[in-house]
Amino acid sequence: MVRLVVASPIAVATRGEREIDIEYEGTLGGLFDAVAERYGKEFRQRIFDGEGGLKRFVNVYVDGEDARYLKGLETPVTRDATVDLLPAIAGG
Amino acid sequence: MGYVRSLRCRECGAEYPPTRLVVCEACFGPLEVAYEFDAVREAFTRDSIARRPGDLWRYRELLPVFDEGAKVDLQPGYTPLRRADNLASELGLRELWVKDDTVNPTSSFKDRPVAVAIAKAREWGLEAVGCASTGNLAAATAAAAAKARLPCYVFTPASLEETKLLLPRIYGATVVPVDGTYDDANRVAILAADRRGWGFVNINLRPYYAEGSKTLLFETWEQLGFELPDVVVTPLGSGLLLTSVDKAIRELKAIGQVNGVSTRLVGTQAAGCAPIVRGFESADGRPRPVKRPDTIAESLAIGDPASGHEAIQIMRRTRGFADAPSDPEIIEAQRLLARTEGVFAEPAGGTTVATLKRALEDGRIDRDERVVLLVTGNGLKAPSVLSASFPPLTPVAPNAAAVDAFLGGIHHG
Repeated sequence: MVRLVVASPIAVATRGEREIDIEYEGTLGGLFDAVAERYGKEFRQRIFDGEGGLKRFVNVYVDGEDARYLKGLETPVTRDATVDLLPAIAGG
Repeated sequence: MGYVRSLRCRECGAEYPPTRLVVCEACFGPLEVAYEFDAVREAFTRDSIARRPGDLWRYRELLPVFDEGAKVDLQPGYTPLRRADNLASELGLRELWVKDDTVNPTSSFKDRPVAVAIAKAREWGLEAVGCASTGNLAAATAAAAAKARLPCYVFTPASLEETKLLLPRIYGATVVPVDGTYDDANRVAILAADRRGWGFVNINLRPYYAEGSKTLLFETWEQLGFELPDVVVTPLGSGLLLTSVDKAIRELKAIGQVNGVSTRLVGTQAAGCAPIVRGFESADGRPRPVKRPDTIAESLAIGDPASGHEAIQIMRRTRGFADAPSDPEIIEAQRLLARTEGVFAEPAGGTTVATLKRALEDGRIDRDERVVLLVTGNGLKAPSVLSASFPPLTPVAPNAAAVDAFLGGIHHG
């Protein structure tokens, strides 16, 4: 099972659910497609910008690694991966 | 709610009641506190401010604390604005000032935003507080939490300078030393705060926390005789200090205290971690994240700065610029500031001096401009950075002949 951890400010996109287990293996983009099937286009509208990329204020980590340093939406997601969806808040 | 109007999204403008929201619910953009300026204008007068105690609460109408009893009384702020004639002369500048925040209760400017954030945590009855930190914020949060009798958890890179790991523990906080970068520590801190409902000052109290940093500018304005300088040079970690300085200027204008003055905002980072500077130099104006920061300026070593994009926009709008001196330039600048003005800054302060020097050389700052450097942290917290730049001392025998031999031909007076 892939575990998707959604920080509470972002959880408006997942009907308030913050820890979501989902059967999946593939890419990060594919995982978001699967999540969107469960939560509808509301999820997609809130997480993605108008050009198919992630919104600037949303950070995604695959097993603790920032997806921007990996392959973005093409980053591989293994069947037991943990994916964190966090607001872009860093530093004082 | 005092003078506070709302929390407003800096990105899309959506407004919310001033509650515990962290980011905009519509676009996840950063929120800032908006004020009822008509009411502020009546109360925030030069005469009334001048009669108030010398701490950051003298600007209370533009700080979002509603319950006076929630304030923690460590008295941060109202630090000296030092006229730096020796340094100005050395660099060939007409008028230079150093805003010396090395003398705050825990020796950095972080005592200011923490004062506001901890007050909000007390207003809301939160059970514990904390932060993710490159060092200075850890000490500031831990000290304020001690005074507020709140448990405190600080997440830092385990590789931090020893003093910066020790200080929060002395104040009674629990240090979580994360085996990774600041950005790693920040990520797990977000998750920990979220899961436990704790108030992390620079994470889920961030819109309020940011307000405290405005007082650096308010004080500078007051100490210059209620005038703004031509240029403010500020270190950039997350970029939040620069955005707060800009907000303070905008608010002074909104309440009619400042008219027609344009202050250029200049940001500086170390070359070994310069995501905002590189973004400023790029066409799209987007920060360029740094996965592995490599600099002695630990307090600025944030690879993925949350307020970087806004800071870039502000520097462009105010006709400022961004600059990234090297570590050797920063060390030399720390020493220059100390030996000309008697102020020992940590490397972040050195970056401001180094950038000023570079900008005077290439004309980005004019020698006739009135410049203020924000020196935001004390060098005593990171002494090892400088110890390597001095030759070791050889003991001198305790007699006059040995002292004469040691001093050689040095004559003073």
